[in-house]
Amino acid sequence: MRNLRLVRRETPLAGGQFRAVLVGVVIALLVGVILLLATGNNPVSTYLRMLDGAFGSPRAWSNTLTRAVPLGLAGLAVAVAGSMGLWNIGAEGQIIAGAIGAAWVARLAPDLAGPLLIPLMLLGAVLGGAVLALGPALARARLGVSEIITTLMLNEVAIRIVRYLVNGPWKDPEGNNFPIAPEIPDQAKLPGLFERANIGVLIAAVVVGLFGWLVSRSAWGYELRIAGSSERTAEYVGISLRTKILTVLVMSGMFAGLAGGIELTGSASRLVEGVAGGWGFAGIIVAALALMRPSGVAAVAVAFGAVQIGGLSIQTQGVPAAIADILQALILFGALAAAVFGNYKLVRGEPATTLDTAGGAA
Amino acid sequence: MNEQTLIGLVIAIIEFGTLLYLAALGELIAEKAGVLNLGVEGMMAFGGMAAFWAGVETGNPWIALVVAAIAGTALAAVHAVISVVLGADQVVSGLALTILGLAMAAFLGKDLVSKPVGTQFRELDLGPLSDIPWIGETLFSMSALSWLALALGVATWFVFTRTSTGLALRAVGESAATADAAGLPVVRTRVIAVMIGGALAGMSGAYLTLLLAPGWSEGTTAGRGWIAVALVIFGAWRPGRVLIGALLFGGLIALEPRLQTFGVEISPILLSMLPYLLTIGVLILLSIRSRNRPSAAPAAIGQTWRREER
Repeated sequence: MRNLRLVRRETPLAGGQFRAVLVGVVIALLVGVILLLATGNNPVSTYLRMLDGAFGSPRAWSNTLTRAVPLGLAGLAVAVAGSMGLWNIGAEGQIIAGAIGAAWVARLAPDLAGPLLIPLMLLGAVLGGAVLALGPALARARLGVSEIITTLMLNEVAIRIVRYLVNGPWKDPEGNNFPIAPEIPDQAKLPGLFERANIGVLIAAVVVGLFGWLVSRSAWGYELRIAGSSERTAEYVGISLRTKILTVLVMSGMFAGLAGGIELTGSASRLVEGVAGGWGFAGIIVAALALMRPSGVAAVAVAFGAVQIGGLSIQTQGVPAAIADILQALILFGALAAAVFGNYKLVRGEPATTLDTAGGAA
Repeated sequence: MNEQTLIGLVIAIIEFGTLLYLAALGELIAEKAGVLNLGVEGMMAFGGMAAFWAGVETGNPWIALVVAAIAGTALAAVHAVISVVLGADQVVSGLALTILGLAMAAFLGKDLVSKPVGTQFRELDLGPLSDIPWIGETLFSMSALSWLALALGVATWFVFTRTSTGLALRAVGESAATADAAGLPVVRTRVIAVMIGGALAGMSGAYLTLLLAPGWSEGTTAGRGWIAVALVIFGAWRPGRVLIGALLFGGLIALEPRLQTFGVEISPILLSMLPYLLTIGVLILLSIRSRNRPSAAPAAIGQTWRREER
């Protein structure tokens, strides 16, 4: 054990992140088998049922795609910040803020026609997410305060704001004393697409596609990545770091906010405390698996949507839906480890001298 | 407001303070070694579930406490291997650990939800000391775990400031490359620090499910793990200040259900935001202050280190 150490491979293993994620999936499924056996469940039938629940019918597909929407938008939020080396851990709170923003618009103008009300609600959602991201963005850009902790803390603040609203001023008087806000007006609900899916799926696909293209192809995205890799280079070529940090973090909040808006006008139809459903946190895993590339976010989001919907569909068999979260986390851990072993190899023996190892060859 | 309400408040402050202090102390130790572990909430939940299970099985709170510490350590080991040994990103790994811990607790604890409490910690009777008015009913009636938390805090302070082990741990957290050049085992130190942190988070979970809110249900940690992460910053990475912070934040939690009794017309939900907002405020103050003096944060926190790449 003592003699083992990691040495950089001269050429990384082929397959890159795809191989790493695949390894992660295999590891997660294997650990899942152990957990399922230990709790007296049949792993094969459980996995088959999950697969069926996620992809087995048009309705299953519609559920999976609907769940992929907040995962993809939260993943995009994290990835856009991540491509500049910034961490937005606050997507969970920003989804809530977005849902609050959308619900607020519906409260202010409940009689507006749908084609006007829905865009305004989504705008409210985007602004809600932006407002929650603004503080950490300013603190980071102006004072250099780490955005990791500030965005993380605001999650808990946002949860309590929505808890306050649905228990107090926005509580539904006809809600049998449940902590829920009144249902949004009928014309405020997103038009359907197929089965349970609504056009939120298309909105999210367009947004993720468009901004994925912007980050990876446009001059703006190029500047972003330069700023992320080296502050000095960025300043040398005249990129204003402060402005970039501010816009990127606020924009990140907007994407997560939009997810909250689509959730409210789509599947949720009323504000509740659990409106963000942990998807903001899952979005961080989605973005990490996609290596902060918005282009990869969509694919991972659909896959994770399937894992989550599959997890829900086995609840009727008495298997806790938490198995989905376990699988997601294990996929990430497995992929992180596999990615390291793609670039490094384990060798035995002490390094001869510092000079030898500095070159990376063993 | 009568004497009994006030004594009840002080007891609650000590109880919530203990819960937060145990977890925050663990996070402090990991961060001092340069490893941010955002998995506290998950380790706390997993430890709490494990403790409750062990309590039901054995009926002995101390065995349950040990089981919780082992459970927390086991989860922390995942973070240690992924982020320290293999050098993956600490932020992602820690957050995934929270998701894993919460989910494992929910999954394995499914059948515990309806179970009656197997055992719980009780207040410690210190004989005549406990009969002293006021102090006897509060300080000298608190559970052994509160004393343990206090002792661990003093021990942490002592190790950090008075021993070479503490110096080595802090050196690793300030600059891994320098510590390595001085012959200190960077990876081993960090792994051990993270695992101690996990043990303490697990014990904090045991305190929750065996004393503060006996029983097990999903969501019983209710974001307290995040407060523990906040406390480390709030207390500027010092065991003493973190204790003061734990009592302050614990006090805010203790006040929540009592606001109405005290005739305050603020929603307790709004009050519960304060720890998080105060922490953001402290972060901003720290950064303004650190413009002309060194930052309180361990310099190497969040940075992965590989010997090959120094």
